[in-house]
Amino acid sequence: MSDLTLISQWLTQQPEQIISFENDKQRSTKDFLKRVLQWKKRLEHQSGNRWAVYHDDAFEFLSMTFALWQLGRTACVPGDNRPGTIERLTTHVAGFIGKFPSPAITLEQNDNHPSELVEWINLESSFHALEIYTSGSTGEPKPISKTIRQIEEELETLEILWPSKASSVVITTVSHQHLYGITFRLLWPLSAGRAFQEKLCEYPEDILQQAKYHSSFSLVSSPSHLARLNASLDWDAIAKNCDYVVSSAAPLKRQDSLAAAKLLQAPVREIYGSSETGAIAWRIQQEHNVETLWQALPKVELSETEEGALKVETPYLESNEPYILADQVVFGAEKKFKLMGRKDRIVKVEGKRVSLAAIEIKLSEASAAIKEVRVITLERQRIETAVIIELTEVGRQELEQSGRKTLIAKLKVELAKHFEAVVLPRRWRFVDAMPFNPQGKLPLESLMNLFKKEAVIWPQVKKKKVEEESLSMECFIPAELLYFDGHFEDRAILPGIVQVHWAEAYGRQFLDVTGHFIRLEVIKFQQIIPPNSIVTINLEYVPATMKLVFEYVSEKGVHSNGRICFG
Amino acid sequence: MSKLHQELKEMIIEVLDLEDVDVEEIIDDEPLFVEGLGLDSIDALEIGLALQKRYGIKLKSDSEDTPKHFSSINALVALVESHSTN
Repeated sequence: MSDLTLISQWLTQQPEQIISFENDKQRSTKDFLKRVLQWKKRLEHQSGNRWAVYHDDAFEFLSMTFALWQLGRTACVPGDNRPGTIERLTTHVAGFIGKFPSPAITLEQNDNHPSELVEWINLESSFHALEIYTSGSTGEPKPISKTIRQIEEELETLEILWPSKASSVVITTVSHQHLYGITFRLLWPLSAGRAFQEKLCEYPEDILQQAKYHSSFSLVSSPSHLARLNASLDWDAIAKNCDYVVSSAAPLKRQDSLAAAKLLQAPVREIYGSSETGAIAWRIQQEHNVETLWQALPKVELSETEEGALKVETPYLESNEPYILADQVVFGAEKKFKLMGRKDRIVKVEGKRVSLAAIEIKLSEASAAIKEVRVITLERQRIETAVIIELTEVGRQELEQSGRKTLIAKLKVELAKHFEAVVLPRRWRFVDAMPFNPQGKLPLESLMNLFKKEAVIWPQVKKKKVEEESLSMECFIPAELLYFDGHFEDRAILPGIVQVHWAEAYGRQFLDVTGHFIRLEVIKFQQIIPPNSIVTINLEYVPATMKLVFEYVSEKGVHSNGRICFG
Repeated sequence: MSKLHQELKEMIIEVLDLEDVDVEEIIDDEPLFVEGLGLDSIDALEIGLALQKRYGIKLKSDSEDTPKHFSSINALVALVESHSTN
């Protein structure tokens, strides 16, 4: 047996420890017992077995949760507190506790110490303590229940592999409103006699700030943060106190893992798991190695189904039956394996699990403008979702009348009710027809191609001469320029308004042009500018009159000129 | 719009790889996050990195202030300006 205090017996055993820190301010076991009791008193006359809990303060969250457990009630833990989430939970729970925008049970911080003698109870191992939600393949969030047995078995497994050091304070960049956070940030530390920081770190600077209070700490994080640690910060100041880093939620890129390990001078333990199974495998990337393979945690049996999916057996599954994940795997030597992506349409966007089907369903429900919709993921500067929409007749009219941006903004508002900002689509394409192939399939490749080409809206600058109040710029006007589209069908010409727009934009950028556009004066368009032309844009700004004189010339002579007046 | 306003807007569009957003559309005093431009927590991390790279700004290790600095273009301009006069 390990040195863990069982979660089920924690309140009856009451081990003396520091529970948590708010920066350097600490809370003891006594503080925790008091707060759990206050919450218990607050909740005991409420009826109903299942309660939604949400709070950004981890100490408060843990107090509410332990109070519910003492009352034999299940803590339902949503990933966020947005309107769509609340609406969905309403029929599912007796009420809401903590930080919700709608009516919820709250409890002021106070010093009232309920005077009566408290009899804390031990929790049954079969007690359904937690319910968490994850993206199911149908698009609807799927509730997953965890009993005390499941929670305790998982903690014990983690403790066998990585015995805890009591003095190491847990600092985190991840929320406790999901299983990874609850386990690694709250329950494992509590059970092992370790303190945690109550507020999560949003920026790398926050990590430095919190870490400086502790002579020993560990960081519970995710690829979203570990890939964006700012190397120029003074990590050396805290690195000697860092025991280890944990990363989960999505695979961490090898170079990001090595970079984080170097900055913090500590091993980066990557955890692989799911809400359904808990943590099941781990790896630590090695400097000299190629990509390190995953291996099972102690007491976890992993194998591959005939279809290549990962089959899991652990003491902390819901039943004795093995669980089969949608992740495809390939096993190598020593039962180590490589992840090959998922079979279904559930993806991780910057560590957030989301069902692409769910986004499609919510979009279709939200607007009569949509005939067909596909959502895909793109890996650009970050992993993001992107949408391809075939509009209905109504939709086409709406697009024409209110424009692309208004339509996108409207659809985004609808999606934001149900999804976290990070997974909201960042790129949208409206197509006349979905690019089905002759076999009637919609290849991912052709959908992705729709996002390859960025709209070209500027000329290519060849030479540039900037003086105090004048600018001369030789430019190539590429044929793929957006503004040649439809202007005109039979003969492409650079529109006059674009020439004026460029003149204004470059004037503001290089010549300190300020003020609002008032009017144009003596505009002449003498010669057309066809695709692939080379022209020189000459600008001269007269600050006294706030007039910008522009001229487009080439070896053919003057194409256009005029004055833009600002005020 | 000052040069710095323009520069910061261009920086945001570039480092966040934004589509469908022009410099003119980013309003100086509108919120960058949630409403307004609708940026998210990952974008905030990227802006933090970019400010460091381009202007040598290190955010103070004081989580109270960071949201304020990132609240709008005007706030970012003030942050960069106060840094360059220090």
